[in-house]
Amino acid sequence: MKPEEILASSDILEKIEAVCQRRFAAENDRNECYIFVLDNLRTDDFKRLRAFKGQSQLSTYLYTLVNALVVDFRRQRYGRRRIPTSVSKLGQWAEAVYRLVCWQKFSVDDAYDFLQVDGTFDGSYEQFRQAIAPIQNAPCRESPGFKSLDNPGRDRLREMDDAASNPLEALISKLDRQRRIKAMQVIRETTATLPGNDQLLVRLVYGSEHPVRSAAKVIGLSASAARRRLKRLLLKYRESLLAAGIREP
Amino acid sequence: MGKWTKKSLVPPAAPDAAEHVAVEDLARLAEGTVGTVERVQLLRHINCCQQCYEILHLTLQQAALETPMKPAAQPWWKTKAAYALAAAMILIFVIGGQFAFVYLSRAPRFISATVDLDQNLRDVLLADDALRFGEGARLTRLLAALQQKGIDVKHLKLAVLAKPYYQKKSLFGPREVLHIRIENDVAYLVVAEVQ
Repeated sequence: MKPEEILASSDILEKIEAVCQRRFAAENDRNECYIFVLDNLRTDDFKRLRAFKGQSQLSTYLYTLVNALVVDFRRQRYGRRRIPTSVSKLGQWAEAVYRLVCWQKFSVDDAYDFLQVDGTFDGSYEQFRQAIAPIQNAPCRESPGFKSLDNPGRDRLREMDDAASNPLEALISKLDRQRRIKAMQVIRETTATLPGNDQLLVRLVYGSEHPVRSAAKVIGLSASAARRRLKRLLLKYRESLLAAGIREP
Repeated sequence: MGKWTKKSLVPPAAPDAAEHVAVEDLARLAEGTVGTVERVQLLRHINCCQQCYEILHLTLQQAALETPMKPAAQPWWKTKAAYALAAAMILIFVIGGQFAFVYLSRAPRFISATVDLDQNLRDVLLADDALRFGEGARLTRLLAALQQKGIDVKHLKLAVLAKPYYQKKSLFGPREVLHIRIENDVAYLVVAEVQ
């Protein structure tokens, strides 16, 4: 199929539109995303489409390409440049808080925990609450409808479901703040010591909630072998958490 | 999605200058068609690059939306059809086995045999004129004579002669045989001549 024909196909255009609709809540963002993707696909005489070598299925290639462009669009639209200067001048930790609270709709408490895990804010919670006062006063209207790519429609019920199906999440959610931060650090460190296959398996299944079957395909395992491996990996996490003095309350 | 695990497990953001994984390679990864050696190299980058991980993650999400939910591939012997077939075979063996046992364990319904009519049998047939004879000395002698001929018969309650038997006068007459059919402990006897 020639690149021109690909972009002339109403079916493919509808799919691109659907991807943008899924990724953005605001009508304006959706339309601009759609135009951005089409423009970039046409750039340099359809260079990106012509790069297709036929090693994968065309449909998968197109989706991957469109997703890459959507990620680019989001970064351009909601990248660092849009963070108010009043926030940026406070430092990287403040930008991170702004991104988490304003764009990704996390609570201020969650943002504090995440910063602790990342090691970007060393102060106490009280100090944090005082420090973020200017951030809370900063405008947050650039992306009122921005949906986190990974957290569509979060709500209490969904979080309960997540905890039920994700043993790591279930454990962390039961811990108090101090131990939760520690547990997240242990999980991050343990993950970094795993072989690449295992790392990605854990990231996809427990970090991004993909079905084991999909994750198994990516790392070249059968679903049943991946399930067995996940059990072993959970034991490893458990040992690491216990070694750090973290156990289920 | 679990916010704590997501935060813990998302790869770190790669520097802007990082060489990212080619789009088609990400597509092949999502399809699971990458060789082992190449996969190790690709995963090394993806586990350290938030951007490539995110594209892979979105592509997998897309693939899941595109593909209707299918039952997981499983061995043939775990399918419903295999279980149904196994259950049907067990039923056939259990029910059919009982019939087979009853059929095989009972005595054959009839015995059919042809034997030379020797003097012993002639004496039984010539004992009197009755064409039917029940339990008694004559029947006992017939039973003994038949058993002597190798016929597997345990008990007789009646013998029926097709027609009266008369001794042949000629010493060189045709050979005589006795056709015997035993059914329900009743022996039907027919004398025939053979050339």
